[in-house]
Amino acid sequence: MEFFSQTYIAIRGPTGAPQSPLETITKLADRLGPSTLLSDRRASILALKGLAKDPKLRSDVGDYALRGLLDVLENDAEVDPDTAIPVVETLDLLCDPEDDPSMKTLGPKYMDTILENDKAVHKLIVLASQQSFTPRTVTLHLLGVLLKHRKAKTQQYFLTLPTGPAIALAMLDDPREMMRNESLGFWELLIAKNQDIQKLLAFQGAFEKLFNIIETEGGVESRVNAESALTCVDTLLRFNSANQNYFRESTFPATLLSLLQYPPDILPQEPAPQPFALQFWDELKERNAALVVGMIGLLVSSKASKTQATWTAARCLAELALASNAPTRVKAKALSLLPGDFDLPLTQMIITPYIPVPDTNGEEWDRLESSSAFDVLVELILHAEYNGTIAPARRRDPLDLRAAALRVFCNFVNTDEMKEMIVQSMLPQDGSSPVTPLLHCLITSHNAPLDIAAITSTQFASLIFAHLIRGAPRAKSAALKIVPPSGDVTASSEGNFFVPADNSGGAPPPPPPEDEDDPLPLMQILTEHLSLAFISRPRMQVGDAPTRETREWDRIIINYICLLVQWLWDDPKSVRAYLEAGGLTLLVEPIGQPMEASDGLIQSLCAFLLGTCYEFNREPGEITRATIHQIITRLGVDMLTDKIGSVKEDVRFREIEPEAFVLEYPTPKEASVDAEIEGEAEAWFDWAFLDFWKSNYYTAQRAVAAGPNSSATATSSGGSGQGNDQESQMLLSSLREVISNQAHEIQTLQKSVKDSAASSKTKGDEIASLKAQVESLTKQVTEGEEKRKEREKEQEDLLVLLDELSSKRRGDKERMRVAGLEVSEDEDEDEDEDEDEDE
Amino acid sequence: MAGVTWHYVLKFIITGDAAVGKSSLLVRLTDQRFLANPDPTLGVEFGSKLITIPEEEKVVKLQCWDTAGTESFRSITRSYYRGAAGCLLVYDVCSRQSFSNARTWLKDVRQHADPHLTCILVGNKTDLCSDDAGPAKRNREVKTEEAELWAKQEGLLFVETSARSGENVELAFEQATRDILLKIRNGVFDDDRSPGQSAKTGCCS
Repeated sequence: MEFFSQTYIAIRGPTGAPQSPLETITKLADRLGPSTLLSDRRASILALKGLAKDPKLRSDVGDYALRGLLDVLENDAEVDPDTAIPVVETLDLLCDPEDDPSMKTLGPKYMDTILENDKAVHKLIVLASQQSFTPRTVTLHLLGVLLKHRKAKTQQYFLTLPTGPAIALAMLDDPREMMRNESLGFWELLIAKNQDIQKLLAFQGAFEKLFNIIETEGGVESRVNAESALTCVDTLLRFNSANQNYFRESTFPATLLSLLQYPPDILPQEPAPQPFALQFWDELKERNAALVVGMIGLLVSSKASKTQATWTAARCLAELALASNAPTRVKAKALSLLPGDFDLPLTQMIITPYIPVPDTNGEEWDRLESSSAFDVLVELILHAEYNGTIAPARRRDPLDLRAAALRVFCNFVNTDEMKEMIVQSMLPQDGSSPVTPLLHCLITSHNAPLDIAAITSTQFASLIFAHLIRGAPRAKSAALKIVPPSGDVTASSEGNFFVPADNSGGAPPPPPPEDEDDPLPLMQILTEHLSLAFISRPRMQVGDAPTRETREWDRIIINYICLLVQWLWDDPKSVRAYLEAGGLTLLVEPIGQPMEASDGLIQSLCAFLLGTCYEFNREPGEITRATIHQIITRLGVDMLTDKIGSVKEDVRFREIEPEAFVLEYPTPKEASVDAEIEGEAEAWFDWAFLDFWKSNYYTAQRAVAAGPNSSATATSSGGSGQGNDQESQMLLSSLREVISNQAHEIQTLQKSVKDSAASSKTKGDEIASLKAQVESLTKQVTEGEEKRKEREKEQEDLLVLLDELSSKRRGDKERMRVAGLEVSEDEDEDEDEDEDEDE
Repeated sequence: MAGVTWHYVLKFIITGDAAVGKSSLLVRLTDQRFLANPDPTLGVEFGSKLITIPEEEKVVKLQCWDTAGTESFRSITRSYYRGAAGCLLVYDVCSRQSFSNARTWLKDVRQHADPHLTCILVGNKTDLCSDDAGPAKRNREVKTEEAELWAKQEGLLFVETSARSGENVELAFEQATRDILLKIRNGVFDDDRSPGQSAKTGCCS
């Protein structure tokens, strides 16, 4: 009651005289001052809120009462929820410019006032921590508005509130689903584009809480909350390396895999379980899964050490794309996120693809035979997902998926050896080449009316083949030897049967030869197809707009030319083969046609191919450079140069990006045709061709201007421009010199090795003889020693004998003396000796 | 992550004044390289490293939270102390100021972190005041003895390091880890209030 009477008095004014709204508002604003009673203030706020709802009065309320409202927010809101709710609501009315165009200028003004200092934001965050529903939701809404329109400032204030992160985190724990929903909406705004807040919250346990929500709400199958929670996790991780490091250390990467039903602890040789491969998908789950796939991609792409977990995550992505019933868009995303330098062992990975049972609306699935992931990948590129049985051939998503698969293929087959090996596998074994799926698609001939699926297959086969031979001379010369079996491989409309990618028995049986022609080499077949395409393309009169059918013929023609030009570049042998197949005359007519009667792009590419033929026609043959030079002069050098350069003007060429070459149908938009199905897309070139063209068109331009006797200017497909060529020439010659020097050195070294080996042999002999000598000498020495010992012993014996004799003689002398005989004493010794000698 | 086994996961915080080399210590530990001109850490950075304590035959995973030293992040930084088992309190041996401020940091740690946390005082940048520092040589402002004495008084471990040369960096972490393992063995962390060491398992997740 009090409120009504107060308001009434305020509006009526003391005297009862009619009062202008402005007076009322100023009066009410005065009442917001701290001197009045709390109940008065509350009443004034309610009145102001009512007035602010009127778009005409809103600006007055804002201009005169905003400061007062902020004071109340600062002083009363926390203690009195009944004041808090209307004051926040009034501020919200003043700031949120969405419902009223006139607020577009006022809203920001009031927001700036609110954000003059950090008080209001701090108070609002504290209010948002309250348990009761209404204050929290209205506060979160206002904070959301501020974050939306004044992001940086609000986020900065959030950071200066010490309890801010704790409050934000506590919000996520709320058991009420509605409240969680509100909080997540606030979170999405709060953490956007602010690494500090992201880190702060992540390191205080945001991941735990968010995954908790995701899991309690039922993972990717859940309704709306899981999606916002996943979005939050994604925001916390993307562009934030600190959080990624932290995340990788936790158990959450494994949780991400489990969300897709992929066992995180799967062993490398273990097959992926069926619940992962076959799931029920709806639109919401698709969105959630795409978010999860995006985050797994983030973990896989890191340059940090490749742990087992990273491998498993990469494998999960590959299997999701190649062997599951996941939505096409999710598959394309999974493949496109496999990093280029991640060499997953595709050829050894055995996977089991699935294909929908026809007419079951995707509810029943047939398991196909297991094969290597590489084969399934090639199959996917050539024949589209599920062999094109579900989606029309040129819907955007399947094309994107094939493009992503092509990128994975190119990243995987990245060495010359591998390229050559794959080309070698197509070489004839007995007479004609085995028809691998790739070759089959490549040599399919097309007749009017065109089958879009078939020409798309041929186009992708050409892209693969171009990747195999581009800049790989050995693969090019091997490709020249490919001789597909004779007989026409036509694109039959029912030709969409599943062709297993491994060529073991699954390859389509070559159709019975219609005539007994000798099989033709691949180059010749491609040239004939090109010529047929030129003939089959409906003639357009000047002024005719191209129809769908002519556009498709243009696509085929361009496809063949692109493949050929990459094949012939810098490879005189291939040029010779092409010229002998009659390729030259093909090019002349389209170039000479009036611009309006043909696709300008075809003319330009024909000119590029002609330039290539001329430049690299270095092998002796029937058609010499002089022959081509005559044609070039007749067509006009300037015209050809212009045409070669004009490729880059074409929208279909210009719009290609490194990661995406699938374009909207039709490109350019003002083309005179309409898409047949919704979301139809088309592809003309891939990035690799764009790259190839950019690095070589200048060489081709200069080539057509050069005389027939000029020497080759380009030395490699990478060389562009004269300076570069000279440089590489010089480099080449210096390298050659180095090589010859080294060869010489090697020879010398080898010789010296041989010499030293020989000398060491003689030394060995010497040593042996010396040893023998030593042995014999030792023997002699021992013998001598023995002899010496013998002598010594003999001598000793003799001495003993002598001693005996002398003692005997002394005895005899004694006896003689006794007997009276004369004996000389002195001579004793001498006599001894004498006697000795005598004896 | 199969094949990576550890017996303990220990949370470490690295704290101290701005520009004393906290992030460089972490990068030296985890990447064995020197972070030459780092930007100031915003909020927090994170790194982890497996170390082996041979005499205990234990593999320990160190989860290091490298906090921001700048004042504006001070209030935020405190919230990271929760659950830490070890703390590297870093100062710059060539900056008296950073050493005096270490007292405040220690107070902070004592106030907000687990009471049983092991704290090691780390005097960083010893390379700058060594004789072969070249033209960048600066004067040492904190004597080893003085810091050692203070550490003793406060019951801290102490080491002097150089993130540039890598000298003693691993040692600092190892010493602290040994001390924590000792405390774990003595049951200091057994009460639930101390989440200092998590995952006491032979973890293969």
